[in-house]
Order: sequence, then structure tokens, then C-alpha cells
Amino acid sequence: MSTNVMGIFQFEDEFIGALRRLKESGFDGLTAMSPIPLHEAEHILGFDKSPVRRFTLAGTLLGAAGGFALSVATALTFILPTSGRPIITIPPYLIISYEMAILFGVLFTLFGFHVVSGLPAWRDKIYRPVSNVDRFTLVVECADGENSKLAENIILESGAEEVSRVEGDR
Amino acid sequence: MADYIEPTYAEVNKDVLRAMMETGPKYWATLGTSITVAAVCFFIPWFYQLEVGVGAAGMNRSAVWGTYLSNFIFWIGLSHSGTLLSAVLHITNSSWRKAIYRSAEAMTLFSLITAALFVMVHLGRVWFVHWTIPVPNQMGLWPNFRSPLMFDVMAIATYLTASSIFIYMGSVPDFAAVRDASSGLRRKLYTIFSFGWRGTAREWHTLGWAYTFFAVLVIPLAVSVHSIVSWDFAMSLVPGLHHTVFAPYFVTGAIFSGTAGIVTVMFLLRKYMNFERYIREIHLVNLGKLLVLLSLIWTYINIMEVFTTWFSGSSYELEALEWRLTGFYAPMFWEMILFCAVVPLLILFKRIRTSWKSMLIISILINIGMISERFIIVATSQPRKFLPNAFGFYFPSIVEISITIGSFAVFTTLFLIFVKWVPAVSLYEVKETLKPLRRSS
Repeated sequence: MSTNVMGIFQFEDEFIGALRRLKESGFDGLTAMSPIPLHEAEHILGFDKSPVRRFTLAGTLLGAAGGFALSVATALTFILPTSGRPIITIPPYLIISYEMAILFGVLFTLFGFHVVSGLPAWRDKIYRPVSNVDRFTLVVECADGENSKLAENIILESGAEEVSRVEGDR
Repeated sequence: MADYIEPTYAEVNKDVLRAMMETGPKYWATLGTSITVAAVCFFIPWFYQLEVGVGAAGMNRSAVWGTYLSNFIFWIGLSHSGTLLSAVLHITNSSWRKAIYRSAEAMTLFSLITAALFVMVHLGRVWFVHWTIPVPNQMGLWPNFRSPLMFDVMAIATYLTASSIFIYMGSVPDFAAVRDASSGLRRKLYTIFSFGWRGTAREWHTLGWAYTFFAVLVIPLAVSVHSIVSWDFAMSLVPGLHHTVFAPYFVTGAIFSGTAGIVTVMFLLRKYMNFERYIREIHLVNLGKLLVLLSLIWTYINIMEVFTTWFSGSSYELEALEWRLTGFYAPMFWEMILFCAVVPLLILFKRIRTSWKSMLIISILINIGMISERFIIVATSQPRKFLPNAFGFYFPSIVEISITIGSFAVFTTLFLIFVKWVPAVSLYEVKETLKPLRRSS
């Protein structure tokens, strides 16, 4: 059974240093928590372009098509002739299409955020409230005792103010 | 600002959460007053109007639109401050936005709700409002999507949804901070609100991408909303309204009025919630510069509106223009010009733009001017269209005036409730503007 080693840092640069060294040492089960977004940490952990963008694109396209289809369908269901003008009138329907594209783009982005970030996650996970105030927290999944020792050493050498072994979901 | 001492990360949490969680008698007194005014001036007159019919309003045969719709435009306009400004400044990576955007976005949300209330008040038979929604019904009736009024329904529903999501998503990390700092029922509630946020790199990364997409989607949406509102008027053939310049005119006016609204709200938050360390002179100065720019654009569009009307040579248009500039509501027109085109130029003086009190007064005057602008658009056009035998006159009734005053109390009530549920200043974004926590620095 794997164990987790947790390190709490006061300084951002030391936290980033520890993260980089752990990654270089072959640790893959890394969770980095910080009170602000740290792009360097995201880069080290390999987060590049987010799949959220696919959700946004899909939602926008679906919304645009749906908006246009809705306008056409309502016009055909409830026919309202006006001065001999065509029943299906493109320019006004494009406005509905535009609004629906944005609406669905936003809703799908929201859905994508939840899918990609894994939230909501209300069940207990390893977390220290200080990491949402002014500390940087690192959790390393270690396969055995030897690995745990190595991780602890790296974290301590990098300048952590607290290192501990913790149980729970990372 | 040599005497400015930058707060630490922990102090940011402490200051902002204290303002949110500690509630004094002054707050309760303000909230109580606000609720009372909203009930007495807004809801009771509205129920009275529901009881006796829309005849309680001053609208008549030639003036079928009145204060309710002019207020609707005003509140929609005010809503353009927050989300649009926040989104634009997010995309352009302007760090000064970070301390003020949360309350600006809240303004958007509550202005929109107030605007939507005016549509219901104007409708008369509010219980038929669902007829505007494209859902199957027993009459086989469907909305006519060729009408700008239906564009409005779609645009405003989308804007309300997008703005709510935009403000909520930006608040998720801060809800987690509230959760961590509280106990009991509040902790349980904020655990749900925060989705179990821990601030992991994956969560930040995903939020960053999603938030940027929200911003990118919201900008064209906000522009489209007020353009569409302008088409409610411009797509009619009424002299004084049938102008191609209306869409940019409305959008500029909306951002202008909304930015002035942000200055007013910033002043109040700073003074009454003790945010002096976060809402600073730089915010005032930058918003001041923006106000001058918007005022100049707004003035230019006004001049163009008059010029194109004169240049058209249309007798109907010229008559409508003359009535606007010299008729019964002319003093209101010139007051609007004074407050929105002349007064903002005072911001060019450094002494004025760095003074909180002066900027507060200017921001209020601008919004008085903008209310007048909306009123003039409605009140001086429809009652004076085409032939003199069809001319009428519109003056708001006591019910309309009361509901107008009450709408400010509705907005204030919603905002006062908001500041006790959501941190009014974004914790994590303010922290991002501070000196990084690095041993090397």
C-alpha cells in the first residue's frame, strides 16, 4: 500500500524547487496546493493546454446550431406571415443563434471545468487550510518506505518548514 | 502613496473575511432601511398597479412606453460595468482590476435582476411572462424570433446566466477560504459552494482556462445585449429612435454609466467595509481616465446623432430633434449634456481624479445624466411621432416615480446581502498582485 509524504513550504521558490526535484527523481504522484495559481508548478506537472477548450468549442457550435434550429422550428410551427416576407428569415435568426452559441459555450465550459478539475470533490482528501492562506503544500505518493524517505529528504533539503507522512486520498 | 504598506497573504484573508463575517449594527440598520424602502416604494406600488391595472402608470395611447422601460435601459446599462470591464481587463492582463472586479461583477448581476423586474412591472399582466419563453404550451403558441423584443429575452437570459456563472466561478477559491475560516452551518454551506476546492495545480490550471473562456464569451455577449436593447427602439420607424448609431450609442452609454457606478460602489466599499488597503488611488485614477475616454466617445456619438438628424432633412426627424432640444424636456436634455459631457472633463485635473469625494460626486452626476438620457429617449420620441394630430405627452405618475426610487433600494438590498455571502474583494487575485513569497526576494 502506498503512503503519502506531505511538505509545507513558506516560500514559493523553494516549493517550486522541491516540485522540480521530485519530478526529476521520478515521482509521478504529485499534488501541489497553493493559495494562488502558480504557472511554473502547472508547467512542471505537465499541465499544458486544457481540454476545457474542447467543451467550449463544442458548446458554442451546438448552441449556434440549436439557436438557429429553434428559430426555424418555431417559425414553421406557428406560421406568422408578415407582408409577404419569407417565413424563415435568416438575419434575425442569426442573432438568436449568436446568443445561444454564447449561452451553450458558457454552460459547456462550466461542465468542462467540473469534468477536468474533478470537482465537486466533497469527500475527504489530504488538505491543510494554510495552503489556501499563505503556505504551499506538496503531497507525494510513495510506493514504499524507501521512496518515502527519499521524498522526505528532497522536501526537507528544499526548505520545507514541515514534513509529515499522511494517510488518505491525494 | 509612500505610506502604503502592502498586506501579507494572511492579512488579506483576515481583512476580507472579517468584513464579510463580522456584522455590526450599522450594517443591519442600512439593510433594514433598504428593505423597507424597497417594499414601500417598489413592491407595494407594483402590487397596487397589478390590482388596478397599468392605468396606474402615466402611459397613454401615444406614449405606450414610459419610465419602466427607460429604467430598464438604465439598469441594463449599469450592468455593463462589471462583467464587461472585468472580462476586458482580465484578457488584457490588467492587474489593477483584481481588487475591484468582484464587486463590479456583483453590480452587473444585481443591475440585471433589477432591469428584469422592470420588464415584469411594464408587462402589466406579469403572470404571462412565460409566454416569452420558447416552451411548448397548450395554445400551440411560439415566440416570434423576428422581433427585437425576443432578441432581448434571449440576450438578457444569456447575460444573466453567463454573469452568474462568471462571478461564481471566480469566487470558488474564496468560498474555500470562507469554509476554512468558519464552523457549523456556515462551514457546511461553503463546503458545498466551494465544490471541495483545495487549490491544487490542476484546479488552478482548469479554472484559469475556464475563466478566460468565460471572459472571451462574455465580452461579445455584453456588447450584443445593449445593442439588442437599442434595436428595441432603433428598429421601430419612430422619428428620434430610428437611427443606425443607436447600438454603439447604447453600448458606450452603458459602459460609461457602469464605470461611474463602479466608482460609487468602490467609494462605499472602501469607506464602510474598511478596504482602504485594497481599493486604492490607482483604481480611482484608472477608472477616472476610463470615464474621460467614455465621456468623449459618448459626446461624439451625441453630436453625430444631432448632425445626422439635421443632415437627413426629414421633417419628422427635425421636429423630433427640435422637441428634444427645446421642448418640455429640454432642461433634462441639457442637464444630461452638462453631467455626462462637461462634468467628466473635470477628471482631467489631477486634484479631482485623486480625490475620492470629488470622484464620488462626479460618478453620481454621470448616472443622473444617464437616467435622464434613457428617459429622454423614451419620453420625447413616441408621444411626438409623425403627424401633429397624433401628438401626445408623457409624464410619469406617482406610481412610476415611486417604483423608480424603489428600484435603487432593491439593488442596494441585493448588494448588501451579497457582501455578507461572498468576499467583496477577490482574495486570491489580490494576493497575486502582492510581492511574491520568495526567499530569494
